[in-house]
Amino acid sequence: MNRGFLVTVRFVPCVLILLAVGSCKKKPPPAVAAADAPAVAAPTKPAAVMPTIEITAEPGTIERGSQTTLSWKSTDATSVLIDGGVGNVAETGSLVLSPAESTTYTAIARGSGGSARDSTRVTVVPKRADKLSVTDIEGLQRAIDDGRVRPIFFDYDKALLSSKSQRILEENARWIKRFPTATVIVEGHCDERGSEEYNLALGDRRSQATRDYLLDASVSPTQLEALSFGEERPFESCHDETCWSKNRRAHFAVKR
Amino acid sequence: MSPAISSLATVLILTLLAPTGMAQPSDVKIYPKARESTRLAVADFVARTAVTPQTRTAAKVFNDVLWTDLKFSAFFEMPSKSFYPLKPLRSPQDVSFDHWQAPTLDVDFLAFGNLHVDAAGAMIEGYLYDVKTRQQVLGKRYSVSDVTLIRRVAHQLADQIVYQLSAGTSQGVASTHITYSSLKSGSKEIYTMDYDGSNVRTVTANQGINKFPDWSEDNSKLAFVTILPGSARWQFWIQSLQGGRSVIPTPTSYVSSPAFSPDGRQIAYSARGRGHSNADIYVSNADGSGKNNISNHPAIDTSPTWSPSSRQIAFISDRTGRPQLWLMDADGSDLRQLVSEGGHCDSPSWAPDGRHIIYSWQAPKRWKHDVYIVEVASGKIFQLTSGTGSNEHPDWSPDGRHIVFQSTRTGSKQLFIMNADGKSRRQITAYGINESPAWSGYLTRP
Repeated sequence: MNRGFLVTVRFVPCVLILLAVGSCKKKPPPAVAAADAPAVAAPTKPAAVMPTIEITAEPGTIERGSQTTLSWKSTDATSVLIDGGVGNVAETGSLVLSPAESTTYTAIARGSGGSARDSTRVTVVPKRADKLSVTDIEGLQRAIDDGRVRPIFFDYDKALLSSKSQRILEENARWIKRFPTATVIVEGHCDERGSEEYNLALGDRRSQATRDYLLDASVSPTQLEALSFGEERPFESCHDETCWSKNRRAHFAVKR
Repeated sequence: MSPAISSLATVLILTLLAPTGMAQPSDVKIYPKARESTRLAVADFVARTAVTPQTRTAAKVFNDVLWTDLKFSAFFEMPSKSFYPLKPLRSPQDVSFDHWQAPTLDVDFLAFGNLHVDAAGAMIEGYLYDVKTRQQVLGKRYSVSDVTLIRRVAHQLADQIVYQLSAGTSQGVASTHITYSSLKSGSKEIYTMDYDGSNVRTVTANQGINKFPDWSEDNSKLAFVTILPGSARWQFWIQSLQGGRSVIPTPTSYVSSPAFSPDGRQIAYSARGRGHSNADIYVSNADGSGKNNISNHPAIDTSPTWSPSSRQIAFISDRTGRPQLWLMDADGSDLRQLVSEGGHCDSPSWAPDGRHIIYSWQAPKRWKHDVYIVEVASGKIFQLTSGTGSNEHPDWSPDGRHIVFQSTRTGSKQLFIMNADGKSRRQITAYGINESPAWSGYLTRP
């Protein structure tokens, strides 16, 4: 999120930035543009250099009570001030903050050649429990229902996790960890083609592989239970690959 | 749970009939083995006294069941009733043996009898005669307190006839039961029924998923696996048909396909140990204690079936990449692969004769299964089912002459019985989804 913000700033034409805030991180603007800039005095000392500054916050969105790290780096600055309640800081540094509300942090670097500024915004979202007064169980259920925690799919008679499945599981792990008191049941499922006994064991193998990946993604073992349904609970009921491919899956349910 | 087995003795009074002028057959005597083409006539049982609508209905049921049982036994050639003499046979005095020896019939044995129905229940007399020697082979009187039990009498008489004429090689399967898993109304539950599909009895009603039932050696209990609603764990249940159950402790959330050993002392099943990533074959005492992981391999091992000696186990493993049929001793030693045709094997069932194993096989690149039989000693394979639909999960009748299996040949998954050579297929369920059948042992004594 924060990264996207910086990219946006960088791609705005420099001339507009100069008009608005008198800052540009690209090479010095052409003379005609500089002449339009109200805040910048005409250079009197040829040795003076415009300072630059860049500020980021990671993560850019936090739940209330969580922390974010503000990092900044300036060049050719004699002083750096970060407003938004931070104050004077070193030319380059970082700071861990826990703002109570969404805040825009603007860093202003001053130097012999003038001043430069850059901003980053930290969005503070209410804790889900604050906002919705839901438990972890309900929060995780919502994450599953909304498709933020997603099922993964397998090849025929396989329990290998594709790179796409691994990416989905990384994302799922992040969500599961946000609801630490909820337990998720990792369900392994099969299409109808194999025999019932083998499919119950294959679904078990799929749920184990999925659970192991989530453990590697540092989900607590207390949050995970693996269970095979074999071919008992298909998503789709037709008898060809369009349905079979949707039925060979691991999906996630909240333990009640 | 199942009054069928226990109450049989109290409902039926079996008496040997000693017809006038005939020697009473010994209770233990086995008639010399019938030749391959034993010809049997089964005359309609007739009302002993006045024909009432109730008697007529009871007689029709009785005659249909007796005929169908004997026909399905596959021991006999049974000439059509259209060739029979018209004279009803109530008792031995009514029999004109010359008619039954005429070229159009030329039967070796003749069964006939009479029945009487009143408010107190029903009484049935049944006879079996050797037409050549004109000797009585069998004479039985059955008494039931409720006319609806008349099917059971027909089954018992059919079993008696098979037992007598098969030289004891079969006790007859007409009184046996089949257990299975069925989805009829929202949840997959365990049921039992007569071998012909009648008299369905509920075993579970827990709203969960109940699968893979198997009979204990004495037919008093069923082992199966269950996942209860809201649970995240399969459980291994042993349920008494008289009521009461035990839940066998298992290491993890996966347990499947239990199988009692024929000697009644042990039980094999598929489970996953803690810290293991795949299913293994476990063997424990019959009460679940003293369990051992006997296959212990990082591949899927499932679907154990015992040899009749209880010394060996056949099972399914995908350790070569695809699920195939393997053998090992019951302690896990002497492992070898029995079927290696590729594709997908499952649901093996060891024949009572010890020499054959039936199983389902899905050929490579196909998704339909068929039932196959492999000779254990030679590894020779024969196909037993074909045609439309997937044919799976075979199990043997206790006399090894018949096979029950599930098939989608009519669209939905239903149960069928057939002879061990794949012939005389007969559908025994029609509603819902019905699967993983297991045939009981003999439930009555000859």
